[in-house]
Amino acid sequence: MLLLAASSAVAEEAPATSQVSMPRKHFAFFEKYCVDCHDDTTEKGNLDLYKLSFDLGTLESAEMWQKILNSLNSGEMPPEKKPQPTNEDKTAFLEILSGRLVDARALLSDTGGEITMRRLNRREYENTIEALLGIQVDASDLPSDANSGGFDTAGGSLFFSSDQFEQYLKIAHRVLDEAIVTTPKPQVRKVRVEAETNTTKATAKRLAAMDAQMERAKAWHESGKEPRDFGFVDAAEVAIQENFYKRDSPPLRAYLGWPETKTGAVLHTLFGGAFILNADIPTATPSGRYMVRFKAAVLNDKVPFHQRFIEYGTRLEGQRGGELSVQGCVHIKGTMADPQVVEIPITLTNASPRYFGIRERQINNRDFARLVFSQAQAKNKPVPDPAIWVDWIEWEGPPHDSWPPKSHEAVFFKPTDTKLDETYVREILVRFATKAFRARQPSDSFIDKLMAIYQAQLEMGAKPLAALKEPLAVILASPGFLYLTEPVEKPWFKENGKPLPKRVPLTKREFAIRLAYFLWSAPPDDELFKLAMDGELRKPEVLRQQTQRMLNDPRAFEFISGFTHQWLDMERLDFFNYNFRSYPQFDESVKDAARNEVYHTIRTVIDENRPIGDLLNPDFLVVNDVLSNYYGLGRLQGGVNGAQFRSVPVPADSKRGGLLTMAAILAMGSDGERTSPVERGAWIMRKLLNNPPPPAPPNVPQLSRNADKIVGARELLNLHMEEAQCAQCHRRIDPLGFGLEHFNAVGLWREQELVQVPTKRKATKARAFPIDSSGTLPDGTPFTDSAELRAKISARKDDFARGFTEHLIEYGLGRPFGFKDLNLADQIISRAKEEKDALSAYIHALVQSRAFRLK
Amino acid sequence: MNPSRRALLRSGTATIALPFLESFGFRRFASAAPLGARPKRLVFLGMGWGVTRETWYPDPKVTGADYELTPGLQPLKRHKKDLTIVQNLANQFNNEAHWGSTFYLTGANRYAEPGQSFHNTISADQVAAEQFGADTRFTSIQLGCKGAENDGHGPGLSMAWNRQGKPIAGLNNPLAAFHQLFAEDNTPLEQRQAMLKQRRSILDAVMDDAKSVKRGLSSTDVEKVDEYLQSIRDIESRIAKEEQWLDVPKKFPEKPVKEPKGKIEGYEEVKLMYDLILAAMQVDATRVITYRQPVTSFISSLGATITGHNMSHYTNGARRQVSEMRDQKNAELLAYLIDGLKASKEPDGSSLYDHVALSFGSNIHSIHYLTNCPTILTGGGAGVKHGRHLVMQDPKTPLCNLWLSLLQGVGVNVDSHGDSTGTIKELFA
Repeated sequence: MLLLAASSAVAEEAPATSQVSMPRKHFAFFEKYCVDCHDDTTEKGNLDLYKLSFDLGTLESAEMWQKILNSLNSGEMPPEKKPQPTNEDKTAFLEILSGRLVDARALLSDTGGEITMRRLNRREYENTIEALLGIQVDASDLPSDANSGGFDTAGGSLFFSSDQFEQYLKIAHRVLDEAIVTTPKPQVRKVRVEAETNTTKATAKRLAAMDAQMERAKAWHESGKEPRDFGFVDAAEVAIQENFYKRDSPPLRAYLGWPETKTGAVLHTLFGGAFILNADIPTATPSGRYMVRFKAAVLNDKVPFHQRFIEYGTRLEGQRGGELSVQGCVHIKGTMADPQVVEIPITLTNASPRYFGIRERQINNRDFARLVFSQAQAKNKPVPDPAIWVDWIEWEGPPHDSWPPKSHEAVFFKPTDTKLDETYVREILVRFATKAFRARQPSDSFIDKLMAIYQAQLEMGAKPLAALKEPLAVILASPGFLYLTEPVEKPWFKENGKPLPKRVPLTKREFAIRLAYFLWSAPPDDELFKLAMDGELRKPEVLRQQTQRMLNDPRAFEFISGFTHQWLDMERLDFFNYNFRSYPQFDESVKDAARNEVYHTIRTVIDENRPIGDLLNPDFLVVNDVLSNYYGLGRLQGGVNGAQFRSVPVPADSKRGGLLTMAAILAMGSDGERTSPVERGAWIMRKLLNNPPPPAPPNVPQLSRNADKIVGARELLNLHMEEAQCAQCHRRIDPLGFGLEHFNAVGLWREQELVQVPTKRKATKARAFPIDSSGTLPDGTPFTDSAELRAKISARKDDFARGFTEHLIEYGLGRPFGFKDLNLADQIISRAKEEKDALSAYIHALVQSRAFRLK
Repeated sequence: MNPSRRALLRSGTATIALPFLESFGFRRFASAAPLGARPKRLVFLGMGWGVTRETWYPDPKVTGADYELTPGLQPLKRHKKDLTIVQNLANQFNNEAHWGSTFYLTGANRYAEPGQSFHNTISADQVAAEQFGADTRFTSIQLGCKGAENDGHGPGLSMAWNRQGKPIAGLNNPLAAFHQLFAEDNTPLEQRQAMLKQRRSILDAVMDDAKSVKRGLSSTDVEKVDEYLQSIRDIESRIAKEEQWLDVPKKFPEKPVKEPKGKIEGYEEVKLMYDLILAAMQVDATRVITYRQPVTSFISSLGATITGHNMSHYTNGARRQVSEMRDQKNAELLAYLIDGLKASKEPDGSSLYDHVALSFGSNIHSIHYLTNCPTILTGGGAGVKHGRHLVMQDPKTPLCNLWLSLLQGVGVNVDSHGDSTGTIKELFA
């Protein structure tokens, strides 16, 4: 057994001979174009190329080569007056140099496998608090943990800034105020609003006031007297009000004319934005779980499918008419004859917004509502066609199964009538700290100090329960809670900047913690802790069974979404405002569903033990109602009914299947208006082919020859081939991206490319270009269209699996993927291959590896 | 001189109408700045994504006083005599074309530490704060905006980085800045003293736990705990300072700034932050301020529907129009701030403008270029001879040479900063 472990250790660690150098033969480039000035006699810019080291493995030489790359990229060198390199020479030289510099930076940043202690990132912090107290907390006030190019689990990149400590204290107080109760059990309240009582009455009142004002305006016109006598400031105000009347009164009159408004509210859109039906929960109501319900129906069977949805969310300060913080979208199936009651469970914390509302599903922007409104007017309709009727809306809550709630009992563990004397307080603090520190005992002196803080609170006049919140908050801001520590008996220290290669196994407790934060972004539960402490978790079969249990648990979605979002650079989805004039279909409900499609597809592949290649070219899609409609899969096909994601077979006529054709991925490869074959191509190289191009270099002259022309994407990008600085990378990037040109900026299929032509007025005009979606893979393999591109990428699924594995190691171990990890990656891949290449097998293999057990 | 007489004298200058106690407190703690030698202030404004190169930079061939203001700088016309435009400054180590603020004030090399993929050093403002911060309520003030990382500023929590090269958090909206600077605390003094004592005990407790945690950690882990401990020490010194200022009420400028209400984003947000910067200096709440300005919300408040990044990749047409409009609005607001500095009288009759050294710019030139960083200087604090257009001979003159010049100009005792190779003599000649 021991022997086995030792040999696998050898297998996992790659030999430490990794080095990066520029092939010597490239000196020819220098000889041809540079050494006239940069030799030992002239030594321009203090650079003698004959003395330059071709080994890029030191900081000094990497810097020097970076400077050479920069000056070639910017066109600064060779100087204009000197002979210029041919495009071929320059492209070849730049390509190898920029690639080698990326390797050199990676080598120089290599931690040699050392894992830096981790602070809980925001996600983990929120989940850990929830596991501890059962209270949901929003930690978005804390500084972002975004780590350029890496994961939010990498300890080395998780800083602690000076205000952070006080922020932790503040959040902890917010949580404890909610967790610890001092009041009797709150009554469950239920408040229902009959929709017509507010809306229809209010609309009638508003219209009556407008009519009366116009009567006065008319009287003034006829009287020839001062406008002031009729309640107007001046003649201009009359004119303004008359204009408003012309615009606003017909829609209101039309609204009141609809018979359905007698019995409820009809959701509609006016000049001022979409109409929102409110359910406002008073600020003073206690936090907890609530239910918002409403009864609704689709007005008639002519309503198009995509309009048969209600979006719900909260209203925040600063939002304009009709705008919501959209939280979800629900398909309305009720009819006027048989309306339907919709229930939306919500959790309110002390800090969460309480102004809730529902409205028609549409782009979440008042300007869009205005556009829809004016389009209806242009068709001589007073209001855009409405779709949904709502009878009433109500809220109910908070239901408490027990009182005091579980969160309270998580702190006060003895019966409620137990006297809160010094002994009990001390017990509470020790118990809470031990749990918060993930089964590490706090020191006596720490508890003494907490007791002193408690006493001081009492002296300042706080009641005992309230006084206890202060030391409890301190526990939640202590290093023992905030850091995942893995100490050793004899710590190693850096020697000459390099850590000693001595790696020690994790303790039982630490191993359970690492596993739980890997798969749940949360602390271990009792079962996992117990198995770990009993030594059971050391057995491979128990570990495998536990890993499987954790992957099947809903908490695993924390890992899936957290990892995937960062692995696939999905933050780009939120970088752009998608132009609603060009893409009115891409509303927040679609965007949200598109994002979740990526996560749920991966979840399905894990749950169903499918091979990793199913992410590239599968025969199924994982969609919900909104997305299935967006993709035009047909309403009944696969029976996609409801907001939950499920897998359906790919219809024969569909172009979808796999990451490459997902709306989220395609939309990330655009700027919100036009597609970007560059972004798409680079993404494919980075994420699917595991062949990342070097980062976009600074100071490369921008191509502007075509800037004023209206041209298609392909012609625009062909310019890249004219300049060596661009061609070195773009000749491999752009042709990949061309393969997806039949998908527009929001991932919908298109037959031709429409390019907006600037017009003076707001009207849009577009010119159409034919699409040629043929291209080549970086190795020159040609493809004719997106289907073939997908098939050829799928044939390279081993590259994809390697990229995935490297990122998984990085995320799971909380440190950059290093040269020493190459063999670990090999080992994980070959283990997974033995299990039909199942994606879940990769996770099992990492968890079972020796590296995962070492500090 | 007894306090009441001193207070009387001060109110005799009739510049700030302060109640007796406030003047009393002010004198007691601002004694380092006697009348006649008004304190110097430093302000660094960071614009994130760069400028429109074609319409922002003055013609490099026309230097000195006779240069022509470009369309992008036109709104600053009324202050032309009090501006210096500098060309050809750059950060030699920065290769990150999206990072306009991360290394802007530090000049650090991201890769300087082997085994780490990110490294930074102290920023110029913090060098100044170490020497100027002792006499004011706030050692320094960092202002920022929502979503700065995607607005061309790059990683960091503000423009400021501490002595250890770690990011310093900022106040990311006008309301937070207002509260920090001007919100009154009505809690009785005794209670506030007790609370400060309690905060000390809290720090003491977590230090105790840190000691347990530190046991057995390797050197890189210890560095992480030290980051935590540094944060605790920062709070300790802040508490010490708060104690010192406990009985000194916060002061309000002559023209009080109102508490911001509602959602203020973009143009109005920047304007409000400028008001707050001005007010903070008027009451001498701090002498060192940085501000990481919004870009996407700025242009969207001006009617654009694209993001800042999208704008920065302008070509001729709509995107360039947005970029040019942004340059002009930036200049317009800067002119507004300079108006305020000039109109703000100091107790000795000089104007605040005379004692401020202010810079406006970014590490990003334009689009993806990192050379010739856009730079506007104003204010009489550092002794810069304004009204000129300077084009440095060396196209890679370190930005840190500018920071060193300003630091020394305002009297900070420092020999070098970042990768500086010296000061820029031309500024003062």
